[in-house]
Amino acid sequence: MHGEYKTPGGKLVVVEYAVRGDRLADVEVTGDFFLYPEEALDTITRVLTGLPANLPAAEIAARIHATVGNDVTFLGFSPEAIGIAVTRAMSNERMPYGQ
Amino acid sequence: MGSSNEEPVGAVREPPFPAALDDRWRSYDWHLIPAVPRSPAINMALDAVLTERVGAGQRPPTLWIWGWNAPCVVLGRFQSVRNEIDEEGARSLGIGFVRRITGGGAMFIQPGGAITYSLIAPESLVAGMSFAESYAFMDAWAVDGLRALGVDASYAPLNDITSSTGKIGGAAQARRGSAVLHHATIACELDTDTMARVLRIGREKLSDKGIASAAKRVSPLRQQTDLPRDTIIERLVAFFANRYGLTPDTLHADEEAEAERRVTEQFGTREWLYLLP
Repeated sequence: MHGEYKTPGGKLVVVEYAVRGDRLADVEVTGDFFLYPEEALDTITRVLTGLPANLPAAEIAARIHATVGNDVTFLGFSPEAIGIAVTRAMSNERMPYGQ
Repeated sequence: MGSSNEEPVGAVREPPFPAALDDRWRSYDWHLIPAVPRSPAINMALDAVLTERVGAGQRPPTLWIWGWNAPCVVLGRFQSVRNEIDEEGARSLGIGFVRRITGGGAMFIQPGGAITYSLIAPESLVAGMSFAESYAFMDAWAVDGLRALGVDASYAPLNDITSSTGKIGGAAQARRGSAVLHHATIACELDTDTMARVLRIGREKLSDKGIASAAKRVSPLRQQTDLPRDTIIERLVAFFANRYGLTPDTLHADEEAEAERRVTEQFGTREWLYLLP
């Protein structure tokens, strides 16, 4: 599944994953955003992996916030943007392709 | 909500900066490494090596002008190969790709068309600034330098140098140890037809731009000036030297050797290139 969200005036985040047993698997978070330190992307990917599918975007964002801590800076995107991309991927899946 | 640090994109102190901030530039002994054409992979490695050395106090603050010996796509640290590059199209044109250490977006590089440079300094240069503010701060001299050439140029948050006709260039930053790396690429001439065959640029990315294609987003300097690329580089370097001082230097043999080793170990490997496939 593939969902994208571009923060207005900011950057694109793309989230791709599979759903296995109603949970997110094989998660990849990519895009033209800035994240400091760069290794925090692995932490974010770990937070998303295993999350129940169909969590609302705000809840996904809250879980990312709670895990990455104070030393991580999101520039041009946000945990909320990632949450929106995850939920968009899910709703893309429910719609016939191209609509 | 937790406490992760999100920087609002709009709330940035923009140029002109107070004189006291501008004085920070002059407090360093800046060294210039002039352009020598090198492979895309070694350029990626040199960025890392030079930044680490400045961070460790083994090299003075440096303005390094890049040289390219081949066309390529440079992916941002967090970009997916398949989402950004038409690999078949690129291969048929003999155009490879590399992945840089900084975030941000893909660039299509043609050796005679791109002006790329790195500014590498102790983090004290940007102390007290947000990440977003440090982008504006480290781009300000280049905007002024372009204006001195008669080019309509301005800084546009977060990391663009732009004009009324479109984007001229973009910057990205990384921090290593106690050093800040700010590199930028300015489009001097750009073959947008070839770019469109190599890069994929989706609709979502352009959703807040109000334009339909990436080619229209870019406005190379050639639209505004007939000066040759080498002259533009010379004038920008002279502008920096005049404003902040610049000591001639070269890439040291041990720095180049270290970069070659890092190409073998990291920047030239499939693992790094397809870090995000």
